[in-house]
Amino acid sequence: MDEAAATLDRLIAFGQAVRDEGIPVGSGDLITYCDAFSRLDAGSLEDLYWSGRTTLVNRRDQIPVYDRVFERFFLGASEPGDDRRLVPPPPAGSDQLGALDVPDNEPGDEPDDGRQMTLGLQASDAEITRTKAFSACSPEELAALRRIMSRIKLTPPQRRSRRHRRDVDGRRIDMRRIARDAMRLSPDAARLHRTTRKRRPRPLVLLLDVSGSMSDYSRNLLQFAYSTRRAAGRVEVFCFGTRLTRITSSLDRRRPDDALRRAADEVLDWDGGTRIGASIDTFVRRWGRRGMSRGAIVVICSDGLDRGDPALLAKATEQLSRLCYRLVWVNPHVGDATDYQPTTLGMMVAAPYIDAIVSGHNLESLEELVTTLPTLSHQP
Amino acid sequence: MTEPTAVPEPATVAELQSLLRDVDYLAERGLATAAFIALQMGRPILLEGEVGVGKTELAKALAQVFDRRLVRLQCYEGIDTHQALYEWDYARQLLQVRALSERQLVEGETVGKLYSPEFLVERPLLDAVRAGDQCVLLIDEVDRADDEFEAFLLELLSDFQITIPEIGTIRAETRPLVILTSNRTRELHDALKRRCLYHWIGYPDAEQELAIVHARAPDVGDAIAGKVVAAMNRLREMDLAKPPGVAETLDWVEALSVVGAGDLDVDSAADTLGSVVKDRDDLEVVNDDLATIVGDG
Repeated sequence: MDEAAATLDRLIAFGQAVRDEGIPVGSGDLITYCDAFSRLDAGSLEDLYWSGRTTLVNRRDQIPVYDRVFERFFLGASEPGDDRRLVPPPPAGSDQLGALDVPDNEPGDEPDDGRQMTLGLQASDAEITRTKAFSACSPEELAALRRIMSRIKLTPPQRRSRRHRRDVDGRRIDMRRIARDAMRLSPDAARLHRTTRKRRPRPLVLLLDVSGSMSDYSRNLLQFAYSTRRAAGRVEVFCFGTRLTRITSSLDRRRPDDALRRAADEVLDWDGGTRIGASIDTFVRRWGRRGMSRGAIVVICSDGLDRGDPALLAKATEQLSRLCYRLVWVNPHVGDATDYQPTTLGMMVAAPYIDAIVSGHNLESLEELVTTLPTLSHQP
Repeated sequence: MTEPTAVPEPATVAELQSLLRDVDYLAERGLATAAFIALQMGRPILLEGEVGVGKTELAKALAQVFDRRLVRLQCYEGIDTHQALYEWDYARQLLQVRALSERQLVEGETVGKLYSPEFLVERPLLDAVRAGDQCVLLIDEVDRADDEFEAFLLELLSDFQITIPEIGTIRAETRPLVILTSNRTRELHDALKRRCLYHWIGYPDAEQELAIVHARAPDVGDAIAGKVVAAMNRLREMDLAKPPGVAETLDWVEALSVVGAGDLDVDSAADTLGSVVKDRDDLEVVNDDLATIVGDG
């Protein structure tokens, strides 16, 4: 085999090794990679490194993985034993979560809006469980509830878009239409057409506590978010425990239960407790400030039991409230109380910055959230 | 068919690095490699990175190096084809309709004239397609645009052609160098990423940042530049809500020279801190520790 062919084989083998580690590398990417490398100095290790970095990697979090494969493949670094954090083995004891999977009716299977109902028209078996706390439901009841929930959408309030639509009472003159009329008919037949700004739903950002008992409630909210996302709304989803992670993109590929379970593996140290303050702070720094939450409705789902510094929670919540349009806290411990007073320290320090606190402990209270959201913009 | 560009394309990455250095842009090896491959292969580059590390500046520097025009499209929520591609000049079309109808011209002539290029208002993308390799196209902060707009960019970035129904398809005869930047407020669609080369720009190390300061602000003394860069690195380690970028380093050096400070000490730093730290909470944290940060502690 001549040298060029040998090099090519080696590059392709490397690309496949990168793919084996979970970075999606298509055949097109491999061709681009080999093409890029051929234009560089074949003897330079730096060029060898960067040709792959720019063509095979397209997300920042893939860079460490690429580096590891590169070291192993070209520099002969030894495999770091069993410490392969990239591809965690499927959790063995997943039956606890598996029992809550929607059994016969995945939300993704029903794209037609005609089947979306309001809660008041649900099947009769739902009536029994509507006001029953999720924690008291049997797995069968929960499954039934989640089938119902998969048909409900969270509807965020609307904001004005920059795009325009026709409107006889609009404020802007529609020159395009007037010119077209003038050409089509006659200049004298042209009437004044007007447009007005379109309205579109505000973005929705969910920050879900997945630690301990909260994971069930978070899963319920995620079910809503999932339906909303499929209905073309802009939704971003984050999970937190001791740390925060973004799961929005994995929702496109996985079922919500799987996405949440994987995220939970990532953000939970089993004895670490929940760090709400630090997690919100991470969100504010990495995403909020860059504009993700601007003009958005941010929904935090957590019981407010924070192991971290209350001062950090207060500061982060305050910053977040200034970076978003409305901040909603879903806390199952609020229960059925109509005059809820925050009892945990975490809720107390965060309360001044929250626009609405709702419970999420049963289907009826989630219904409250569904009805609260679109009206949020009317509140002072 | 390729028109010769004013400056020949560099043959190696090092050569490109040195060309960029000539226009005071110091690109690290990885960034220079990405730009080099993009030039060679006619592929767009997607740049992500912290705020103020020179993503937009790279486009300007490349335009300067190759003596190309910089065509910039700033993205925002709701941007559509009429702002990005082309728009008809409706007011002039109306006047023309009026004028033509008074002179009783035949209809075919009227229509033909109304949709001629003279009534077309060029927006950045059409401009770039027409200019081809005579320009550098900067699509800035693409994450701010709606995701529908990304789908529209796909067509442009793979074929470099634009279809205007009344005129026809306009194809770029040579490929413009395209640079997209994103601040990662949302994840871009994989299909868009797949058409681009990707590079993440991080903060430069102290040595490189010092070189950048010297290149961009040659009048600044070695001592003060060194102190500012050291202070900047301490600031970035401080866990601030908005860590300062290289742009802030240059602003700080300039602010210090404007107020006539010969040295970076607690007083001159306090006077000019507004050019570096732009968040009230951060200011409090930094003020408490100013002596350590400027290296007097």
